[in-house]
Amino acid sequence: MGKLKLYFSACLVVFVLCLLQLQFDYSKLWSGLFKLGNTISLMLPPDASQWQYVLSAAIESVQVAIIGTVLAIVCSFFLSFLAASNITPHPALSWAIRGICSLLRSIPTLIWVLIFIVAVGLGPLPGVLAIMIGAIGSLIKVFAQSIEEVDEGVIEALRATGSSWLGIVIQGVLPCALTALLAWCVMRFEGDLAESTILGTVGAGGIGYELSHAMRGYRYDQALFVGIVIFVMVFSVELVANRLKLKMAKRL
Amino acid sequence: MNIEQQYMQKVRKQRIQWFVFIVVLLALTVWAAIGTNFNLFVLFSGLSEGFSFLFHDLLPPSPATLPSLLDAALDTICMSFVAMILGSIIAAVIAMFTAVTTTPFPRLRYFFRAATALLRNIPVLIWALILVSGFGLGNLVGTLSLLIVSIGMLVRCFAEALEEIDRGQLEALKATGASHLQMITSAVLPQFMPSFIGWSLFNLEINIRASTIVGMVGGGGLGFMIQSGIKLFQYKQVSMAIILVIVIVLATEWLTGRVRERLI
Repeated sequence: MGKLKLYFSACLVVFVLCLLQLQFDYSKLWSGLFKLGNTISLMLPPDASQWQYVLSAAIESVQVAIIGTVLAIVCSFFLSFLAASNITPHPALSWAIRGICSLLRSIPTLIWVLIFIVAVGLGPLPGVLAIMIGAIGSLIKVFAQSIEEVDEGVIEALRATGSSWLGIVIQGVLPCALTALLAWCVMRFEGDLAESTILGTVGAGGIGYELSHAMRGYRYDQALFVGIVIFVMVFSVELVANRLKLKMAKRL
Repeated sequence: MNIEQQYMQKVRKQRIQWFVFIVVLLALTVWAAIGTNFNLFVLFSGLSEGFSFLFHDLLPPSPATLPSLLDAALDTICMSFVAMILGSIIAAVIAMFTAVTTTPFPRLRYFFRAATALLRNIPVLIWALILVSGFGLGNLVGTLSLLIVSIGMLVRCFAEALEEIDRGQLEALKATGASHLQMITSAVLPQFMPSFIGWSLFNLEINIRASTIVGMVGGGGLGFMIQSGIKLFQYKQVSMAIILVIVIVLATEWLTGRVRERLI
């Protein structure tokens, strides 16, 4: 228990230091709550009059997420076999791929979007590219983890028969790891859809643009409608994903 | 029907399922590609433009901007940490009410579940946009929106962990006539502690990433510096800030990994 006490007291000290650094204006907390209540009352009832635009923007967000995720899955699928330490052709290659991935992963998608917007202009393309880059970073990591969990005996048995590298991957590793890889893909799509809904707030296409547009024009009632649509999108994908995951778990 | 035939039938059924799955996936991809005017040529030209911008305009970063960025970087770290601490305390209390094993009011469970699902399924950026209208720009908005999303995420994880604890100990304590609070402090908490620490550390990692995002819509910190730097074409400052983001994210991952090794 000594370690735990040390950890919690360290947390407390850092917490106080952080509050000192941030210098919140605590009086604002109360007045802000009233203002927020005011904003919320302006939001009600939600205004669905712009539903055609919102719907087409929502579809665009879904499409951006699908393309970004599919491209990332294809790229990561091939690269992860090179990155997994148990079957990599060369340890240095595995190390290099992992390093690049953690670099890609540590930059949030929204920053990638900003970079790509400046580079290729507005529209769905920067969103697709940003989601793809972000998803590649995280998918290769988890794919490689799943591949490394494959039983060493399977690989050794195939190696003993004189099977080539490709043979080991296709006959031994892939069948064992496939379900896990699929589960990761479903989870990634869940995350990517949530991300693609907000990309628009910094200028890429999709439903996020409708939201920030409505907020900037002080049309809080329209903003609430967009917010509801986003919630429904993200939540329904979470539900479908949970069902798919259960189904896959049963298969195992 | 002998076993061999049954097996072959099962294999055939699985093959058909796979085939349908892949066709549906392909159809969805094509639909999405048409809808967004996307093709491989666009992909490669976009990527090459993106990386040429990255290497020509963004890089190299200018170290001269570092002092002005450090304060923002410190803000980013502090916002995430404060949200993590407050969030994990609040979430632990709410989770006690939502988990089947520990809730004193089983009927209220669904209410808490639904409320936290709402917190979780609205992206952090949108919370920030809403909160900005009440609290104005600055750190407070960033911290509060991180706090909201932390609570949403942690309640789900904590509740799952609480539902996995050994019920035998609870039953044993109940038999001795312990009160609800006594049961929680002496049977639930010791079992719950490893997952409490593990998930809250994971939450800190997520908060660090999210805090740079929150800044872009007015939450302060590094995100704000990046957003304003791009608007003002101060690309060298932007790349310096992005490098700081990378350093902070990787350092946090390393640190939380170490703490996890030591404590769990």
